[in-house]
Amino acid sequence: MSGGRAARSAENRLRRLLVVLPWLMERGAASVAETAQRFDISESDLVRDLELASMCGLPPYVDELIDLFIDDDGTIVVGVPRLFLRPLRLTEEEAFELLAAGRAAMQLPGADPDGALNRGLRKLAVGLGEDDTGVLVVSPNPSEVTRLAEAAREGLEVAVVYRSRTRDEATERVLSPFLTFQDHGNWYVTAHDSLSDEVRAFRVDRIESMEVGGASGHVPPEGIDVPNTWFADADIARVDLRLGPAGRWVVERYPVDEVSEPDGDGWISARLAVTGEAWLARLLLRLGDQVEVVGPESMRSVGREAARRLLAVYGET
Amino acid sequence: MADRVERLTNLLALLLETREPLTLDVIAAELGGQYPDGHDARRASFERDKAALRDIGIEISSETLTGDRAGQMGYWVVRNEMEIPDLGLDEEELRALQLALAATRPGSETGREAMWKLGGGSADGQVFVAMSVPTAEVLPVLRGALGDRRAVSFSYAGVDRVVEPWGILLRDGFWYLVGHDRSRGDRRTFRVDRIGEGRVTVLDDAVVVPSDFDIRSALPADPMMLGADQHSVRSARVSIGRQRAFSAVRELGHDRVLARNEDGSVEVAVPFANLDALVSWVLGFLEHAVVLEPDDVRDEVVRRLRAVAS
Repeated sequence: MSGGRAARSAENRLRRLLVVLPWLMERGAASVAETAQRFDISESDLVRDLELASMCGLPPYVDELIDLFIDDDGTIVVGVPRLFLRPLRLTEEEAFELLAAGRAAMQLPGADPDGALNRGLRKLAVGLGEDDTGVLVVSPNPSEVTRLAEAAREGLEVAVVYRSRTRDEATERVLSPFLTFQDHGNWYVTAHDSLSDEVRAFRVDRIESMEVGGASGHVPPEGIDVPNTWFADADIARVDLRLGPAGRWVVERYPVDEVSEPDGDGWISARLAVTGEAWLARLLLRLGDQVEVVGPESMRSVGREAARRLLAVYGET
Repeated sequence: MADRVERLTNLLALLLETREPLTLDVIAAELGGQYPDGHDARRASFERDKAALRDIGIEISSETLTGDRAGQMGYWVVRNEMEIPDLGLDEEELRALQLALAATRPGSETGREAMWKLGGGSADGQVFVAMSVPTAEVLPVLRGALGDRRAVSFSYAGVDRVVEPWGILLRDGFWYLVGHDRSRGDRRTFRVDRIGEGRVTVLDDAVVVPSDFDIRSALPADPMMLGADQHSVRSARVSIGRQRAFSAVRELGHDRVLARNEDGSVEVAVPFANLDALVSWVLGFLEHAVVLEPDDVRDEVVRRLRAVAS
């Protein structure tokens, strides 16, 4: 997957040159095609920037600072390696990206504390002057996730009993898992579903039982990516809440679109993603008098009705 | 006019190769006509180039000169500060880092640039298990301060704070900064995505992280045991309906099951130290969980429900 080529500003062209040149100098020679592909740049842009670099010169070394040429069969040949022999230091953004990705991946099922990733992370951390605990990721790993990930890797189907969130009923399905992923502390499996004959995401903690079977015969659809913005999904309903001082933890804990500054009494306004009516009812009951539903109208009575149902269960009115 | 990339490359080469700080006049002369002639225009172009190089991650050192060039600024680039040191990563380790990026930050441009610098490729491996790792603009700065053991200041919930960073933690999809809040004189946890955008200032003050600090314990995993010690832990008997019995038992463990009923419901013993957290946990099951005893817990649940029902 290539994320679209960045605009060719002077900064971006120089940035790219400063990783391409050390790579070329270490190898001595490489084809234009291979280099362009490796660094995700068009061949014509690459040739243009390399020719420009090879013309850079200062007295007394006019035209000799960067000693390379491109021969007729499209091979880049480096003469005397000079000047840009090593790539630049990692920026703070790059350092964080690697550490966060690595530490998160170490929390995934199957990660090996003695494996290559952890060894690489330790070397990286030493190079960045941080100890092993500065940036940390913690993640729950139910055993079902490990088994689903293995089934995805092996291309096996899995018979499950799944409790649907909306209807609160258990269904038997055969899933052909393609990817298991965690988002906001919850695990999901993206799989072909025998019941709907569609590819869907299922919450792993709603799988009540599972049995791994034989080869699934379903191939992953094109473009099955790790969902990066699960809750940014516009299809998910939103609710506007007013939250009291003791209820403000909600905006620390759940995905929110907007949060206001506290008013004089310490109340804030927030807009939250609502993944279902039952979810909202649970939240409202837990918050008690520390929450007020501003809108939409259809959600204003959810908490009151849930509380009345529950009082009946306790034999109270 | 010469291509700006050419001028930037020449400027960088000059500042790397020089044995002494160079003034802007000397730089312009060496680059022979690549900078404008007028003083102000030349200065403006040079400042833009400096900013462009800084953007790429190259710091230009400078100092005020003495002697026959007294008062003028001299510029140079320190090669060791510019270049990445050899981290000694082997092929297998580079490949593992690539896969980690593919599993947690797919399509990340920043991650790709970083892998190129380390000598790895940008190949995408097929991923079967993944985690969505959010980003926030201030995270790299906070990590930098943590690595350098420096205090930071930022605005949080409308209040300016000075915080000594002790650790950064991702849990349940959110990044947290844990540290000593000097303004409050106490340890605090901040959600990183709520820190005022781009407004983290790294201070010169050095920070000492307590040797017994363990970020894993900074956010208690089980809120029901908040404030727990050996005298304060009590137990509640809760009935869980058939539909939620499975997941409740999975959460609590089979040894907490007191009874299994014919209708599929279970009675479980729930240890707790924090009454609010227990009530909150029970209410999370809606009508699928009922507190049987003790009475004070049951009464508290009913009291909370009445407040919402009215």
